[in-house]
Formats: sequence, structure tokens, C-alpha cells
Amino acid sequence: MYSESLVPQLELVNATREQRKAVTPAPLADREKTVLLKKYHPDYKDSAFRDLRIGANKGDRVTHEFADLLESFSSLDHARLDLEPEVTTDVLVLGGGGAGVTAALFAESRGARVLLATKLRLGNSNTIMALGGMQAAVAAQDSPVRHFADTMIAGGFAGDRRLVKAMVEDAPGIVAWLLKVGVNFDRDENGDLATRMAAGMTAPRILSIGDHTGLNIMKVLKDELRKSDRIELAEFSPAVELTTSETGACNGAVLYDLGRRRHFVVKARAVVLATGGAGRLHNQGFPTSNNFGATGDAIVLAYRAGARMEGLDSFQYHPTGVMFPEHMVGVLVTEAIRSLGTHLVNARGERFVNELETRDVVAAAIIRECETGNGVRTPSGKVGVWLDLPILEELFEKGLLRKRFPALFKKFMRVRIDITRRPLLVYPTLHYQNGGVFIDETGESTVNNLFVAGEAAGGIHGRNRAMGNALLDIFVFGRRAGIAAAGRVGHEPGRLTLNHVANYYSRLKSLRISSVANSPTLFPEFIVDKI
Amino acid sequence: MITIELEGRKIRVPEGLTVIEALWDTGHDVKRGIGCLSGLCGACTVAYLEAGAQRVKFGLGCQVVVAEGMNVIMLPYFPSRIARYDMADMANPLQELPGQYPELYACDDCKACNICPEWIHVAGFMKNAKEAAYATVAEKVKDCHLCGLCASRCPKSIAPQYVGLYLQRSCARQQPLPPNLRKRLEEMATFADDADFARVPVMSDDELKDFCRGFL
Repeated sequence: MYSESLVPQLELVNATREQRKAVTPAPLADREKTVLLKKYHPDYKDSAFRDLRIGANKGDRVTHEFADLLESFSSLDHARLDLEPEVTTDVLVLGGGGAGVTAALFAESRGARVLLATKLRLGNSNTIMALGGMQAAVAAQDSPVRHFADTMIAGGFAGDRRLVKAMVEDAPGIVAWLLKVGVNFDRDENGDLATRMAAGMTAPRILSIGDHTGLNIMKVLKDELRKSDRIELAEFSPAVELTTSETGACNGAVLYDLGRRRHFVVKARAVVLATGGAGRLHNQGFPTSNNFGATGDAIVLAYRAGARMEGLDSFQYHPTGVMFPEHMVGVLVTEAIRSLGTHLVNARGERFVNELETRDVVAAAIIRECETGNGVRTPSGKVGVWLDLPILEELFEKGLLRKRFPALFKKFMRVRIDITRRPLLVYPTLHYQNGGVFIDETGESTVNNLFVAGEAAGGIHGRNRAMGNALLDIFVFGRRAGIAAAGRVGHEPGRLTLNHVANYYSRLKSLRISSVANSPTLFPEFIVDKI
Repeated sequence: MITIELEGRKIRVPEGLTVIEALWDTGHDVKRGIGCLSGLCGACTVAYLEAGAQRVKFGLGCQVVVAEGMNVIMLPYFPSRIARYDMADMANPLQELPGQYPELYACDDCKACNICPEWIHVAGFMKNAKEAAYATVAEKVKDCHLCGLCASRCPKSIAPQYVGLYLQRSCARQQPLPPNLRKRLEEMATFADDADFARVPVMSDDELKDFCRGFL
């Protein structure tokens, strides 16, 4: 329920609805976009970045949050680790989200034995939180080439064209695989896959399962994973370091058993790193839509092992993160809502950006409104703008929100906010790590036998990811990484060492760096701030 | 500040916190049972008794806000039987439901399972399952995140969440390949190489930009 102090603001949103329908803000020209982004998008705030002093990406611009982790000694005492492997397997998959599970399934299908280790419970990941849908060019008026063009343009041509090409070409096949496993994508009356438009797309390409797309895919894949005795699971066992052979190839990892508070070592012929993104590092103090475990572990682990990174200064701030009530701050309101034609409304009851611009532009515009005094202040001092959901019931039909967005409707009914009658207060929320570990088309990093898939990998989405491409990317590159990793079964992993850490530390010392950090972070430090 | 009973002990916490925030705020190092923190994943199930109430309620720890006198524990895991199968080996998994989940037919519609934090009418879909209205079940469990609270209440030890998942998967597998997808896959197999698209890797940056913008 909204607090008293917000009531006049709510009434203004209702009162201005009719007149707002008549004035749609014009789409911005390229030049105007650039000006807006440079001034207000968090990626362009120079004080939030610094040049990395160490490693394969020395000299590159990265966030302070990443630099603090990479320019430090790990708080773990490596000298006390016993590197005698407790488990030996063919493929070690780190991460239990969509990319990890897909990699495990495909590696197993090629005859490999797999150990899948994950920090939390299997499936606890950002995958299940993907609400809106997944892109795949299946509509008659669409094509993989068109999908390619849209993705490259959305990413400002910073995406790696080979990876984007691989992704769009695999997409229809991935959909066929998911259907075969038992995923129930929404269909139309002809039995065709239902496809929808989204911002920045030239053809309808979003496949969905209500507004719980990722959850319903993940449920099925988790179930599928149980079929084979060749796949073992280690839940509540995050990786804290990779191991390398004497030639520098990856050959296992040191895991930490959270329940028993002890380390154990896994030896493998190949490793697939799929531990997701870094929203819980809360860049620049932003709220995040990410799950509890998204602390950028892949970046730390792979970087110390010598892997090259790509685009670590580029993040996606999803424009519509919840700002009220307090305990839901950062939670996402799906972009599908914005695609349908909701208005973003400032404290003066005005629209201030064409809502169908790409995520980066809309996020920057909201930040502009809030920083120039046109934001709405909550009782606890947070600032946001209104997302006028009730207008959809007028534009389409009564009951649309409840029918199309049952999860969203319920989520807010629990806190007694009826989204068919009330707008939501929103502000950009840290949503996605656009960059990550640099990979080739097989998913392999610059470190031999170290494969990376999903949000942990970089180079696909350029500087702005289009809606629905993350959910696609995890299955495409999870599959590719799993297959390629299984191809290393004949390879002898060699002795497990932490030579790469020793080398990394000696470089830190030569730079007179002495800071120590929990790296990887594993879990965010939570300071509960309430008034 | 309010006083609550948290994990079996009286403790004072600020007002307005969720159960998970109350645990963190009082220094409890909880990791098992934390997931998305958005009410989506079902990892953080809790059982709680409100002040003066007689009936225990259930919910998600990231969504339930603590109140004066509340008695609350986390219930992050409850053992329930899940059948083992490889659907690829099954011609029609729908027909095999009675073999996979025989306990389903012991359900006497007592409705104790109707405590779903996603407001799914669990007893309703269990009745549909018994009556072989499988497509209805598949539709009704789309919001299920497998938290397992329903199973924790069943006097017959049935796990409705797994029955629902089995039917959701089985129904999806019975559907024919969507015509639009079939057509796309055929097209791609026939014209493997769109001549222009094949040149993407060797195009200059400017050529690539022109190529992509040509679709706008």
C-alpha cells in the first residue's frame, strides 16, 4: 500500500492520463541519444571507473567494484590448501543456472562424466528471474540475419560478430531442443510459437511462457538433469579458485563446502565456468535485480588464471526496477510492460522519453529526471518516476494485466498495491553484465580447457543487450561449451597447481599492491538500512 | 523496534523488515534458503504464527514482513518423493502418470495443500490430475516454483509440485512441432548459406554497419 505522502502524486498520475495519451515524446536522434547517455548513463560516469593495473586487460577501464577485487590478494590462505583432488571427473561445470545446466546436459550427451557445482541450490540463478522471454527468429517475417542485425545495432556494434552470428543461427535449433525436453512456450491458435515485438527489434521475436519464462525453462531442465547417473551435483559449493596445470591449462577448481566449512578440490579434463553476473556488487550503489549469488565470481577466478576479459566497463541498468515498497527495491518490472505502451511519468505528470527507446536510453532519461528535481521521493528518501500500468487496461482491455502478467499482479497484490489501478514507482536497477570473459565460438576462453558460458562470458551483447537475448545466449553457449568441453575427454589434465595465483601475486607485489579482499566475493555484505 | 520470535528465540528488530532481512539484521549468517530475493525462486520458505493467531501461515522469507509478536522459522527444505524417469524413453508419459506417482490416487481432496505462496489452487489441480485433465494442470502450475510447501502439509505425503512438473513437461512433449519453427528449421537446412550473411566475418566495419542498418 502506498504511504500517505505519495497520494497527491498518485492522483496526479490519474489526472494527467488522458492528456498524456495525446503527446508521445519523439524518438531521439542518434546525436541526442549520445548526449543523454554521456551525461546520465552510469557507464559514462568517469569517477566510477579506473584503469586496471594488472593482468591480461592491464590498462582497460573497469568499474571500481571489479578493480577492487582484481587488484587485491584473496583473503583465502592458499598455502593451507591441500590440492589432492577429492573428486575426479571429465567436465567440471561451475554454476547451476541455465548456462551451467545446459552445459552439463550436452557434455553428458557426448559421453562425458560431469560434476556440476553451484553456490546455492541448483537453479537459484538469474535464469529463473528472466520474466519477459527469449529471442529466436521463428516468425515468418523474421530471419536469423535480421536477428543478427538487430543485436549488433542494439549493442552499438561492440559485440563480436562471430559470437552474434553463432547465437542467432543456433537459436531456432535451441528452441526445438527446449520443446523436445518439455518446455511449454506459449503458442497461438494455429499451434505456432507466439512471438512478440520488443524495443529495438524489427520483427516479432520474443518467445515467452506467461511472465515466468526463465522459471518454467529452468524447472524442466533441472528435472531433465536428474535422468543421468553420469551427472553429479554439488550444491552449496561455490568455487573459490581454479587450478591450472604446469602448462597453464585449466584442470580443476577448489570448491568451498558451505555446510561443512571446508575446501575440497575437483580435478577435471575441462572446466565450464557459468557462475553468472555481478549485480550484487551493487556498482555505484545501484539497486539490483540480480539473485543473492551474483557476485562476479567468474571474473575473479578466470582473470587470476590468465583469461582475457571483454567490456568490463559496460553494464545494463534496466530502466524499470521497483523503488517502493522498500523491501522490493531493485526487483524488476518486465520490459514487456513497457513494450505494450505504458507511460513513464515524472513528478510533474509529464512523459519525458519515448518509452520504446532501448534500455540504456530510457534508463539515462529516468536518471536525468531524478537528478534534475523531477523525481518522486518516497518516505525513506528514495527517488523514482512513475510507470503508469493502469493505462494498459484502458489501451487494451480490462483485465489485461492480470491475464498477461499474473506474476507481477500477484507480487504487488501481496503488498496491497493493485497494479490495475495504481502506477509503480521505478528507477534503473543494475541488471546485467554486458561484458565478461572473452570467448570464441566454442565457448573457450584464452585459457586452454577453460570454457565460459552465460552472463559470465563477454563479447556477445556489445554495450547494450537487447531484451530476450540473455535467455537465448545461455542455452546457445551453454550447449556449445558443454559439447566442446566433452571433446577434451582424451586429454590428460596433469598435476593440479595454483601457479597462476602465485604469479598473479608476485605481479601484485611488484606493483606495491597490498590490499586484501574477499575475492571471489561469494556473498554480498548486507547492510540493512531502514528508517 | 518490535519484538518477534525468530528461529525459536525472542529478539528485537526494526519495523518493516522481511524475515530474511530480520535474520541478517540480527547477525544470522543465512545462506541456505536465500535465492532470488524477489519472490520468484521459492528457496526461502517460512512458517509463521502471527500474534494472537491460532493457525500457522506459510510464505516466502523475502516477501513476508515481520510484525510485533510474530513467531517465525525458515523452512528451506522439506523431503518429498520425486519419481525417477528419462522422458526420452517414454512414448507417452501422460499414460505413465499412475505408475510414476501412484500416491496421487490416495489424495482425498482434504485441501491442506492450499497454502501456496504463489496462490496456486493446489488441491484444485490435484483433483484435475486424478481426473486426467492433464492440460488444465499444465496450465495451472506455470507459476509454481517448486518451493514444496504444499508437500509439507500433505497427510498422504504426496508432492503436488512434482506431479505438476511431470504433467507440465509431459503435455508440452505431446504437442507437435510448431509449424513456424518447423518451416524455419527447414529453410535453414536448405539454404545453409545466405551469401551476404556468410560474408559477415570478413566484412569491414563500415560494410557491417551498412549491412545491419539495411534491415531497419
